[in-house]
Amino acid sequence: MIAFEHVGKRYGGRFDALAHLNFRVARGEMVFLTGHSGAGKSSLLRLIMRLEKPSRGRVVVAGHDIAQLHASQVPFYRRQIGVVFQDHQLLFDRSVFHNVSLPLEIQGVEPREAARRVRAALDKVGLLHREKALPIELSGGEQQRVGIARAVVNKPALLLADEPTGNLDPQLSADIMALFEDFNRIGTTVMIASHDLALIARLHHRILRLQDGRLVADEGAA
Amino acid sequence: MKRSANARQSGAAPRGKRQTPKPAAPASETAPRSGARAQQTRFSSRLRAWGRHHRAMALDSLFRLVRYPLGNLLTMLAIAIALVLPAALWLTLDSAKLLDAELDESASLTVYLDMGIDAAQAARIEEAVSADGGVAQTRMISPEQGMADFQQSLGIDDTLAGLDDNPLPTSIVISPQDVEPAAMAELAERLEGVTGIDEVRVDLAWVERLRHLAALGRRVALALGVLFGFGVLLVVGNTIRLAVESRRREIEVVMLIGATHAFVRRPFLYSGAWYGAGGGLLALGLLALGNHWLSLPVAALAASYGASFTLPQLDVTGSTILLSCSILLGWLGAWLAVTRHLSSIRPR
Repeated sequence: MIAFEHVGKRYGGRFDALAHLNFRVARGEMVFLTGHSGAGKSSLLRLIMRLEKPSRGRVVVAGHDIAQLHASQVPFYRRQIGVVFQDHQLLFDRSVFHNVSLPLEIQGVEPREAARRVRAALDKVGLLHREKALPIELSGGEQQRVGIARAVVNKPALLLADEPTGNLDPQLSADIMALFEDFNRIGTTVMIASHDLALIARLHHRILRLQDGRLVADEGAA
Repeated sequence: MKRSANARQSGAAPRGKRQTPKPAAPASETAPRSGARAQQTRFSSRLRAWGRHHRAMALDSLFRLVRYPLGNLLTMLAIAIALVLPAALWLTLDSAKLLDAELDESASLTVYLDMGIDAAQAARIEEAVSADGGVAQTRMISPEQGMADFQQSLGIDDTLAGLDDNPLPTSIVISPQDVEPAAMAELAERLEGVTGIDEVRVDLAWVERLRHLAALGRRVALALGVLFGFGVLLVVGNTIRLAVESRRREIEVVMLIGATHAFVRRPFLYSGAWYGAGGGLLALGLLALGNHWLSLPVAALAASYGASFTLPQLDVTGSTILLSCSILLGWLGAWLAVTRHLSSIRPR
């Protein structure tokens, strides 16, 4: 599903955010990405989302070198990836329902079908009863779950999450991780960047450890 | 839905073609079903989705406009003022063209015969003049008739009555076939050679001058139109720039989850078009108001010259053209502003 081949990313000419990255993630795998802040977790996810291009090497997603995608093709590529952001990236002037339906709106899904899928996604994250609420009225954990619902509403093949449990207490964090495991169980490839080592150690999935932009450990590979 | 069920059964095993990032197939629920029929339904459903988004964005941008009526009204007023000036000038020139046509009709040469020519000789000369191919019509004015006209136009009766002899010659007023200045000058030259004709007078300089003035006016109107059209672009562009800036976060988020530039641009283009429409309608209103305001003094002025002249009004065609131009300018201004700004907005 994902292959990094000798990938390096350099910002501003001198600073290497990522260097010599080589790894593969198979379809249907669930992988954690850990490391100190600044180790390059976010940069790595940004490369997969094609928010940036690698300075060296190739990032291959689903068989395509995504650096080769034309700018006009990038939106269509991104639609196949669900992304959960640490800061949620919700729109605060729209209801929970409309936030979750945004990807479907962008893809032009017929409204009735979209509503059905939005409710299914909200049901999955346990927020069906809050569909009319504004994000500001929700707790941090609930906002994160809205973000997850939005990421999975069009059933992406690949789900990325950047510190999805960043500001949550242990119980809520465990709930969120359980949700990701559910999605993984139905075949979605999941990649989660997190520095909550205690939590991810309990979950027994593959762990990629980054340090100063280099891959220093690849543990528990399937 | 069908697909996710499949996925559930097959677990982590390779699934359909959906994972390949094929940009042409955003909603590929029906991907494996081959054949023209599936292609067609997918195309028509995408077309429907496209139309749906257009409708939604047209309404959404209209609601946003109505939500802040004062500020948006000011923007439209600025557009309207920029449009009224060239439009008014154009209308004025249009009416000048009418005057020009009238002038053509009244274009004439006056031939003065030698003094002491009697009526019979004058009639022969008139006949000779009429025979010229360039002459459409002739009208003889005897010295007595000329004197009477003169007295009437001066509004005096007696002063000239004190003269012993009538000092006016017989004259013939000629309407030429061709009212072009060059043709008239040529005709005048020919007529001057006819015996018994003392002088031919053509007021060409005046006609010429008016023509030049009209041509100048048309150019000024065109230049003003271009200049003020540019002004409209700037006004709309600036307003849209602020709108884009205020919705920056939203734009970043939707681009992050796969919105195309066209999708992001659409609501702003509609806003621009609405600004243009509003500005155009206001401009039409201002023109009508100005017409009403000026019509009385203009009529009085015309009457004092013994002419009847009404201010021209924009007809349906003219109004449609003005409104279309205005909408187009608004749309274009928005397009320029959004396109320029989208490149500076990158999802974080």
